Amino acid sequence: MKIVAARKILKANDQLAEENRGRFNRSGTLVVNMVGSPGCGKTTLLEALFGGLDGRVVPAVIEGDLASSIDAERIEKLGVPVVQINTQGACHLDAVMVADACEGIALDKTDLLVIENVGNLVCTAGFDLGEHLRIVLLSVSEGDDKVIKYPTIFRKSDALLITKTDLLPQSNFSVDRVRADMQRLTPKAQLFQVSASTGEGVRQLADWLLGKCPRAE
Amino acid sequence: MHELSIVKTLIEQVEKEVRRSGHDGHVVHLDIIIGRLSGVNVDSIRFAFDLLSPDTLLEEANLRITEAKAVCLCGACDARTEIDELVANCPACGSEQITFEGGQDLLLESIELDD
Repeated sequence: MKIVAARKILKANDQLAEENRGRFNRSGTLVVNMVGSPGCGKTTLLEALFGGLDGRVVPAVIEGDLASSIDAERIEKLGVPVVQINTQGACHLDAVMVADACEGIALDKTDLLVIENVGNLVCTAGFDLGEHLRIVLLSVSEGDDKVIKYPTIFRKSDALLITKTDLLPQSNFSVDRVRADMQRLTPKAQLFQVSASTGEGVRQLADWLLGKCPRAE
Repeated sequence: MHELSIVKTLIEQVEKEVRRSGHDGHVVHLDIIIGRLSGVNVDSIRFAFDLLSPDTLLEEANLRITEAKAVCLCGACDARTEIDELVANCPACGSEQITFEGGQDLLLESIELDD
């Protein structure tokens, strides 16, 4: 006899991601999934970003790495509530891990929750965590051809942040090329140029995020 | 990417479906669809299946895989064409103004039992 199933094999993560999103909507928390290669500047940008929020929002962070609490310790120094997920080898976060981590976050008091995903431009594209926004970082030192080479993650992002722009004078990175490639793949995505070390673009990024926070002043 | 954990999830889903149906028996055929743009490799799925199906009710199953192509929708000329590439121009007019439909999912289609 034949059983017709006609269902997605990876439905479980999608379903839990929807549940996560519902929970975040109810608590009025804007949730951002931050992806990018290892070393593209995710944690450093968070350090610069939280310095410039001026108490306008209450932030929290979920850090994702295979091992160690190095990133969580950096965020803790800023006085921002943080939970570290150690995936013990998994190359991306998924909705289950985020749901568990949220047990350690006071969501009702949190206006902006940033989930710093495992450094990875490939696998992170396939797993909805329940976020409202997905932002992808691409640093000047990685090269300007990555949008076309890793289209899936860039296509699924709401914003691309070109980071380490202070290195532009020393490199042949073309911002115009990245802009053109993003226009081709996903014209609706925002493009930001930021430097955590000089502060360039950080204010504009903060304003954009706060504009999307349901509870920001 | 992640083919082993995908197959593990697939086997669990099949076991759940069979239990829910109330029928006994081994699976004779298992039909799945892999989207050409899903990032999942068909050969790796077969390899993972051979590795994980022994001692389950799928150990004698014939795994049948259909690959689903994505459709490229052109904003310039309205053409709908099947496509295999992650990044492409419209095959009909060359425009870059395209969006994709389908070809990105993994689906468990049907399970055939031997009872």
